[in-house]
Amino acid sequence: MTEMLVARGLGRIYRWRGGQHEALVNVDLSVPKGVVLGLLGRNGAGKTTFVRIAATSLMPTSGSMEVLGHDVVHAAAEVRARIAVIPQESRPFYWMTAGELVEYYLRMRGETVSQARNQARDTLAELELSRWKDVQANRLSGGLRRRVMVAMVMASDAEVLFLDEPTTGLDPLARRSVWNAIRRAASERRTIVLTTHYLDEAEALSDRLAILEGGRLLASGTPADIASRVRHPYRVTLEGGFSEKELEGLGQVTHVGAKTLLFTGEEQARELARTALEKGRRISMGPVSLEDLFVQIVGKEISHEDEETEGPLAS
Amino acid sequence: MPAERLRAIWALMSLNGFLPLKRQPLFMVNTLTSPFSFLFIIFILGGPGAVPIGVAGGMVLTVLSIGTSLQADLTHYKQDLKFHEMAVASPVSAGTYVMGLALSEFVYSVPGMAVFIVLSLLYTHYVFLGGLLVFGTLVLLWVFASALGFTLATYLADVRETFAISPLISIALTVIPPVYYPASRLPAYLQPIAYLAPTTWAANLVKGAMGLAPITLLSAFEDMLVLAAAAAALFIVAWRKAQWRES
Repeated sequence: MTEMLVARGLGRIYRWRGGQHEALVNVDLSVPKGVVLGLLGRNGAGKTTFVRIAATSLMPTSGSMEVLGHDVVHAAAEVRARIAVIPQESRPFYWMTAGELVEYYLRMRGETVSQARNQARDTLAELELSRWKDVQANRLSGGLRRRVMVAMVMASDAEVLFLDEPTTGLDPLARRSVWNAIRRAASERRTIVLTTHYLDEAEALSDRLAILEGGRLLASGTPADIASRVRHPYRVTLEGGFSEKELEGLGQVTHVGAKTLLFTGEEQARELARTALEKGRRISMGPVSLEDLFVQIVGKEISHEDEETEGPLAS
Repeated sequence: MPAERLRAIWALMSLNGFLPLKRQPLFMVNTLTSPFSFLFIIFILGGPGAVPIGVAGGMVLTVLSIGTSLQADLTHYKQDLKFHEMAVASPVSAGTYVMGLALSEFVYSVPGMAVFIVLSLLYTHYVFLGGLLVFGTLVLLWVFASALGFTLATYLADVRETFAISPLISIALTVIPPVYYPASRLPAYLQPIAYLAPTTWAANLVKGAMGLAPITLLSAFEDMLVLAAAAAALFIVAWRKAQWRES
């Protein structure tokens, strides 16, 4: 499988007078062609730094990264010709209409007027923005502006797209129209690196995940890979009837109102289900969601940084 | 120059020049305020006889304003809109980006320059090839101002900093040096310092071309050479030190 992005021992230290901060630490990661990579992590985890290095906006301080087979430091021009990015918190020129924003971005990338105009029209239609085509950006809502930014890069012919929190501030329906555009881009074998705080979004779109915390890559792989590597791959919801003693040693217990959540292994989950059926107790269970995985991996990393034997991932 | 690059330059000129000007003509005022204010004060204090020097200075200041406006726009696009990052992650090179935006700033100064050209035709007497000399001088000054704007913009953390820097540049390069007055008015010990500002050389050339100061073919050549060297030096600084990509 062709690797479109390969990071090897990637590191970035931000330095300022009297201090420094390691934003990325020895990150190894690869992304094959046509894959949507969901890059997850809390604020300050290093997601944007990773994207900025890959998009050739920021120099790494150690390690290397290749995008489309070219080194981002030494062959940046070759990379730049074939990528596009929506930076975090980017905003459109307020004096331009939605149609102009997409069209002129494409013309800036070297497309002819007619190519750019047609591509802008089609992409705006796909993102359900046609009716806003001739409206100036300062008259659009925040969500619409963000969608126009998405349309700008989606309309390009870039083979690798970096989308840094593209749906922040969008309502659920608007988010889904962006998701559809991302899915279509992925179906065209374009490679997408998506950072997001919405775990349902990552779950809905990502073929692969990478979880960063404190600049370190905690886990990467397909969602199923990551789920299979966590200590507690099942989530069991109990509605009373089980004592603390019965649940002791079965996994990670959390109380949510009158319900008890138990993150546990497959065998323990089956055993609990049998017990519940025998005793007529209400129980529901299933594989953990991405949110559960994230909380298990990142949450454990934060609270048990030094407890190697009780780390979030099974050995 | 490849067609893609020309299209990119035209697109940047349009999105930062023609389109905002079409939507908000008041944008033009920003570039014109200072040169025409100076011209007004000079006219009030010196009468019609002082207008030619105000016109020559106004041309220099208008072109220099391109650099300060470029600096503000580049900083805004980098720090606030993040458009700089979008341009970096695209086939657009740093040179194309700066050229497109620098030309877009020129769009704003066209009406002001047109007025100054008309005034110069009315109030001054161009020497032989003087028009060509003024054009060449202002082109070199435009390169200098654009390179200065690009270099400074890459080091500014916020657009607010441009509010502090731009007036300083204007004062240091047009108000204090002999742009609006003859260099001979300065005390002898200050004259060499005045010539540290490339705008002094530019103003000498413009004034000479308009018949407002003595000029010979040799002195014009020397002044032009110094201005070209200053523009080239700052262009190299911009090329090597300005941060297209954050280090």
